[in-house]
Amino acid sequence: MDANLSLTAVSDTTFPWLSLIVLLPALGALIMPLLPGDATDPKASNTTSKPASQAPRNLALVFLGADFLLMLAVFSRLFDSREAGLQLVERVNWIPFIGLEWSLGVDGLSCPLVVLSGLITFLAVAASWNVQSKSKLYFALLLVQASAQGLVFLSQDFLLFFLAWELELVPVYLLIAIWGGNKRLYAATKFILYTALASLLILISGLALALSGGAFTLNLSELANRSATGNLGLLCYLGFLIGFGVKLPMFPLHTWLPDAHGEANAPVSMLLAGVLLKMGGYALLRFNVQMLPDAHLILAPALIVIGIVNIIYGALNAFAQDNVKRRIACSSVSHMGFVLVGIGAIDALGISGAMLQMISHGLIAAAMFFITGSFYERTQTLSIPNMGGLAKVLPITFAFFLASSMASLALPGMSGFVSEITVFLGIISQDGFTSLFRSITIVIAAIGLVLTPIYLLSMCRRVFFGPRIPALAKVEDINPRELTIGLSLLVPTLVIGFWPRVAIDLYEASTNALAERLVSHSVVALNPLLPVG
Amino acid sequence: MPSAADLAWLIPVLPLFGAVATGLALISFNSTINRLRKPVAVFLLTCVGAAAVLSYAVLAEQLAGAPVVEHLFIWASAGDFSLPMGYVVDPLGAVMLALVTTIALLVMVYSHGYMAHDKGYVRFFTYLALFSSSMLGLIISPNLLEIYVFWELVGMCSYLLVGFWYDREGAAHAAQKAFVVNRVGDFGLLLGILGLFWATGSFDFQGIADGLAAAISTGSVPGWAALLLCLLVFMGPMAKSAQFPLHVWLPDAMEGPTPISALIHAATMVAAGVFLVARLEPLYSQFPIVGLVIAVVGTITCFLGASIALTQMDLKKGLAYSTVSQLGYMMLAMGCGAPVAGMFHLVTHAFFKAMLFLCSGSVIHAMEDVVGHEPILAQDMRLMGGLRKKMPITSITFLIGCIAISGIPPLAGFWSKDEILGQAFISFPLLWFVGFLTAGMTAFYMFRLYFLTFEGEFRGEDKAMQAELMAAANKDTDEEHPHHAGVLHESPWSMTMPLAVLAVPSVLIGLLGTPWNSRFAALLNPEEAMEMAEKFSWGEFLPLAGASVAISASGISVAVLAYYLHRIDLSQLIAARFPTINAFFANKWYLDAINERLFVRGSRKLAREVLEVDAKVVDGVVNLTGLLTLGSGEGLKYFETGRAQFYALIVFGGVIALVMLFGVLGNPLA
Repeated sequence: MDANLSLTAVSDTTFPWLSLIVLLPALGALIMPLLPGDATDPKASNTTSKPASQAPRNLALVFLGADFLLMLAVFSRLFDSREAGLQLVERVNWIPFIGLEWSLGVDGLSCPLVVLSGLITFLAVAASWNVQSKSKLYFALLLVQASAQGLVFLSQDFLLFFLAWELELVPVYLLIAIWGGNKRLYAATKFILYTALASLLILISGLALALSGGAFTLNLSELANRSATGNLGLLCYLGFLIGFGVKLPMFPLHTWLPDAHGEANAPVSMLLAGVLLKMGGYALLRFNVQMLPDAHLILAPALIVIGIVNIIYGALNAFAQDNVKRRIACSSVSHMGFVLVGIGAIDALGISGAMLQMISHGLIAAAMFFITGSFYERTQTLSIPNMGGLAKVLPITFAFFLASSMASLALPGMSGFVSEITVFLGIISQDGFTSLFRSITIVIAAIGLVLTPIYLLSMCRRVFFGPRIPALAKVEDINPRELTIGLSLLVPTLVIGFWPRVAIDLYEASTNALAERLVSHSVVALNPLLPVG
Repeated sequence: MPSAADLAWLIPVLPLFGAVATGLALISFNSTINRLRKPVAVFLLTCVGAAAVLSYAVLAEQLAGAPVVEHLFIWASAGDFSLPMGYVVDPLGAVMLALVTTIALLVMVYSHGYMAHDKGYVRFFTYLALFSSSMLGLIISPNLLEIYVFWELVGMCSYLLVGFWYDREGAAHAAQKAFVVNRVGDFGLLLGILGLFWATGSFDFQGIADGLAAAISTGSVPGWAALLLCLLVFMGPMAKSAQFPLHVWLPDAMEGPTPISALIHAATMVAAGVFLVARLEPLYSQFPIVGLVIAVVGTITCFLGASIALTQMDLKKGLAYSTVSQLGYMMLAMGCGAPVAGMFHLVTHAFFKAMLFLCSGSVIHAMEDVVGHEPILAQDMRLMGGLRKKMPITSITFLIGCIAISGIPPLAGFWSKDEILGQAFISFPLLWFVGFLTAGMTAFYMFRLYFLTFEGEFRGEDKAMQAELMAAANKDTDEEHPHHAGVLHESPWSMTMPLAVLAVPSVLIGLLGTPWNSRFAALLNPEEAMEMAEKFSWGEFLPLAGASVAISASGISVAVLAYYLHRIDLSQLIAARFPTINAFFANKWYLDAINERLFVRGSRKLAREVLEVDAKVVDGVVNLTGLLTLGSGEGLKYFETGRAQFYALIVFGGVIALVMLFGVLGNPLA
């Protein structure tokens, strides 16, 4: 097949580095059953495990740590961020019978998210230090999850992408269903039903595109070059939007998220917020924007409207939640609204802001969930009304929680500010929308900036401030391991906040190319909903 | 050799370096670093001190007539958009740099004494350094977006410091209120910045002003929109500088340690709003209506602050409302198109109000030895009195502050306040009259504070009054306070030295801004200074100045009669006769109550209703759609009986089968 397309820049690599990045964690999962200890088969979760074997955890740490270092090494050496197209491309015919290719490639859209998910998964394992029950299965699932999510971000073949997308549901489902809270089965079922049924729409839309308009192909770049128009394009766009919108999550498909977060343990929440939601945003960019630019130009205003609904609705919901993790989950809904608005802005600034918001939210939300998990291990409650005065006993935990709350409420000097301001600038500099539409969008989104400190700081106040000494036995404050995890999440937030080019340089070429592509299409398809203002 | 202005970027960076170093140490080696109080304090004092030295060098250069220095770099970019950040050194900035570093240094020295027994000593110094850094960064910001960055950062420092004693319920509420009210202002500021960027494509002060003028003349931006944007931007200064109706956070912010009240909530951060309006002068001077709005808001604030201060019994709250009132004067000056006068009052006020707050801290410090660490008791003037004999330095400096703020020549406040009133008299005579009346109220309430605190007999041992105050605050009297049952004493040298140092500028600095030869105006705006000196005539100056002095003197006389000589009883004379007005003032114009009812409870109710909708309607509808009804109902039943993971495998397997099916069907079709 000819890969010499405008979106595809094949660079010859002698070694399949991307495959190694994807498969290394899976290899760890395969070794897991060979470890001495409890069960014979990691999938057989009903066998009771003997406690105190640390080998599974250490194995997962080693493999994910190595994988993360490998990512850093490969991308810093071989990835050229000035290049907009795909790099390090690998294409092997895998199952020719159904046209499935093992096709990987990395560009500015995937590179930062792969690194982000690598970091967060590694830290999630480190945060699972004290998981004892069925530990071999637990860590094997985390390793499988790491491979699956890498494949989602790197896959350049639709079927491969889809398989990875489905594959990653299984570990998350099991992680919630086995290690979650009291209502874990309800939450896990809701999660899998939402996402699995939504993926049917993804599959149908993808196959419809593959089958239409010329030779059957599943290669993403070729599909993008075809850029389906008309009703087919619109329908597929909607299919993708709902499919990926569930993951993002997008109003009104978000209700699985508070349940999932409320029941999942903290490391799994870190994965959910730090990686899974990002898949939704990434896929929107890769499929809806890159593959269906004409439909995107038509439906972008709808994305913006849903985005601002997300921002306000999520914030109001968060304010009413009485559970720390559910409140943070709703705040995720609010923050991911900025991703939708940025994508809907259809210009370089907006898309850049959406990318940065994904990276930033991944770090910040993971930090918040991690710290929540850290004090939950000590307080055994997440109910805000039952807490108070925690700062007295856990001052460092308090400092971390406050710092991540500040990051989350878009305090300048932290990454959330840069991404949200970029989204704002993206909207106002989009001359394709009428002035009224732009004004209303910014005003409502800015109201979100007022609501965020209200629900976050009132949570800080009710949990940490105040004279009441909680009914705790003498507990130790944060330990060095937790300190390191917290800093690993917050230091990048600060670095990006002070010097955003660190992150922006990675993806700028790709997002600019994406925006230029949209501009070239807008000549053909002027937005019928909004006259040029 | 680089000039000091070229090194000006170091001024915020040095304290930041100190704050980050101690902050990281606090997080990582908490107990160790908390024992190293002295070294940490010396280290951070050195950082801020070096910044101060550099600031003075910068100011000296500007005084010698050095040009404006600006350095920019590209901070972020996307497409053809790029965002410059950097720093600018000009006379206005140089004055503020020197002011902020001076007061920050003195407050740090003072804090060494004030916070000596506090467990959070090191944390406090870290926050102070962090605040200094943010405030200094704000001053040298060359564009609006960078101002916004530091604007929020000083707000965060204020949050941290107001909530410094996090185990106090009051502090927790006050900190949150301060942050949220400021975010409301920043909401307007951000929208304004974005809108101005939209209209002009610039964040730069001069660029915005020129761009907007051009856009209006070409008709690409309608006049009302330009006006709206200017007013939106003004919301930021309204919140930060505690202007009506966004002033409500400032009095509550007195829950923070007193050195903070002096540094942040009197001298520097709250003045940032005035400073920003001064920076935006090229923009605002194009719109007379904006000037009028600013002047009216300033005047209302000025009167409101003074009227509430009349009835306050809490020493710090009294000073806080006085700050609100004085900030109103500064805004009035800005609205009259006299930024130099406003800035001059900002500078003089910074010195004498910082000194007054530090005096109140010294008083509270002494009171705590008698009544314990309960702010309800330690700050209430009904338990004070007669402190002059025990605390001579504190009382003398407090008295100097009172004279300065009342506007008695030749002390600092006279020159700056008179300048503002003179400008107001020309621009808006009605507003001048309100400001003029407020000057009398100011003199009265300040001397009331002085007499109640320092003269008469000491009332601190009055157990009945203590119990009454505690009951009024709904606090438990039996609560054990770490009670020294000690005697009143003057504060240690580290606290009295800054007071003495601040007394010097409080007396003298006004002489730099005499209307016939204003060195201050000559630095900020040489042309205006020339013009002022030329136009100056004793015939115009004396009547207005005489009237100001006269009304101040009558305010002082009433205070003397009522609280020193006890010849008149104001509670019978006024309070009893006009109970509504008295209650109106004492209840702070009912603004907090309105706020609570309308916004706090309203937003809570709205959020609860939205959650209800989410749980019942949205979740329900989505769950019910299509297959999900069947799936979830059946699925749940299935799950409760057992083997969960099989279900996932079935879903997964089913999807793979579908993929295969489509693949098989797809290939031949293509």
